[in-house]
Amino acid sequence: MIDVQNLTKQYAGRIAVNNISFQVEPGQIVGFLGPNGAGKSTTMRILSGYMPATSGSARVAGFDVFQQSLEVRRSVGYMPEMAPLYTDMRVKEYLRFRAELKGLSGHAMRKRVGEVMELTGVNDMRRRLIGNLSKGYRQRVALADALVHQPKLLILDEPTNGLDPVQIRHVRDLLQNLKSKHTVLLSTHILHEVEQTCDRVVMINNGRIRANDTPQNLAAQMRSTTLLHIELDAAGKPAQKLTALPGVRKVAEETPLAQPWRRFTLRIEPGHDVRDAVIELATKQNWRIREMHRQLPTLEDVFVEFALNSGAPSDIPTHIL
Amino acid sequence: MRIFWILLKKELHAFFVSPVAYVVLALVMILNGFAFRAALSILESAPSEGSIVTWTFHAMWFWLSYFFIFPLLTMRLFAEEKKLGTLETLFTAPVRAWQVVGSKYLASVIVYCILWIPSLLNFEFAEWISAGAVEVPSGAEQGAYLILVVMGMFNLAVGCFASSLTSNQIVAAILSFTLSLLHFLIGIFIMVVGRKLSDTVVNVVGYFAATEHIRIFTNGLIDSRPLIYYLSLSLLFLSFTHHVVEFRRWRP
Repeated sequence: MIDVQNLTKQYAGRIAVNNISFQVEPGQIVGFLGPNGAGKSTTMRILSGYMPATSGSARVAGFDVFQQSLEVRRSVGYMPEMAPLYTDMRVKEYLRFRAELKGLSGHAMRKRVGEVMELTGVNDMRRRLIGNLSKGYRQRVALADALVHQPKLLILDEPTNGLDPVQIRHVRDLLQNLKSKHTVLLSTHILHEVEQTCDRVVMINNGRIRANDTPQNLAAQMRSTTLLHIELDAAGKPAQKLTALPGVRKVAEETPLAQPWRRFTLRIEPGHDVRDAVIELATKQNWRIREMHRQLPTLEDVFVEFALNSGAPSDIPTHIL
Repeated sequence: MRIFWILLKKELHAFFVSPVAYVVLALVMILNGFAFRAALSILESAPSEGSIVTWTFHAMWFWLSYFFIFPLLTMRLFAEEKKLGTLETLFTAPVRAWQVVGSKYLASVIVYCILWIPSLLNFEFAEWISAGAVEVPSGAEQGAYLILVVMGMFNLAVGCFASSLTSNQIVAAILSFTLSLLHFLIGIFIMVVGRKLSDTVVNVVGYFAATEHIRIFTNGLIDSRPLIYYLSLSLLFLSFTHHVVEFRRWRP
């Protein structure tokens, strides 16, 4: 659906996107992640046919974004960042205008506008002036606009920005339902969203792609962040014994709990699972365990690592413990 | 072409749901009322070679309205969309740049033409009320409104261009006002220093002067040269606007 090859975009001496390549298969929801100014919006603008790349090529639905801009724009539903809308139009009026612009007409247009208003939950607001709508509703009107011509590809630049938690959940469900009909490329800062919604994550920083994988694999790749929290009743120095277990990199004792309970946090090497070994050790040493909890690295951890470091994931210094 | 009409409808809608069209209409009606009154009083005081049409469009009031109209009608066109960010939504829909530029321009021309209808009625009413005592020569009338429309088309194209250059409506308005004013000042230049210059210079400069064109046409002389002059300049400025709008796509 999307085929980006060696795409570069320069603004007056500053490189926004630096030689990136990636592909998106039809029917996928792909999350585009990266800190502010990483080049996400620029890439999305190029893909939606708004501006050309400095070099490299991008094809959307088989069309070149520069040479066949009109065809690309017909097959893409784009929702820009901040959801710019004409403030002096009413919701229904605006959506009808946009639907006509995108080639719908007559009864089919009116029916479709009714559908997307229902789908995005702006039906109650259809007679309101867009200028008087709250941020959340404007965002949804922009989403309805992106959907109205049933595009093959949806490009959504921070679609959940400025929404309340209920609305965010609504948008997430909506995207899941759209998956069967549309391919979705969305950018967001809410990593929780990506983990729950996306099939694949493309991480970008300083105009370069840092990672391109499933959210689960990305999290698993992280070497530093698998943690094991244990609360046990043990005399002496259990930390030393725990450190001796294969796969344990470091053990730290947390703030003391009520006697006799003590709490330890273990940092685990990637690819190791030491839970069985810990139980065995405890049985041998006659420790009592009342809690053991493994904390898998979240995408947020990965994201922070990427944002703070420009290097590849393997040479990221550990920051936890 | 279908896209063009959809965009035109939207642009006209934008003019008439916002106060812009009505404010400009009111302003033009008031100033033209004064211009018409001034013309009547000239004809009252002494016999004159010029008709009521000639004097109306030579009144200071007319020129005052002339300068206000174009910035007010055109400053919004692109600057507002740039400010709101809607240019991005607009150009990610399957529309071509000429459709956008053309529809915005044509909408402003249509509104501009509507602005002059009340002043046209002034003449009709004067003739009707005075039972023909106030003579409105039809040639002068047709000539005056023809040159008004064509001069308007030129100034609106200039305003369109000014608006496409900036995202600030005030800057767009001042720019379009300045360009219109410079064009007008050519005529004043001839009036002030004309006697000191050779006839050739005066004649050549006169070809470009809006005041000269108004003088010729309000006397009922329909000259094709100013028409071609204004229409070709309109096209030139529209193509500049098109280039500015498309520049985004070609910028290295």
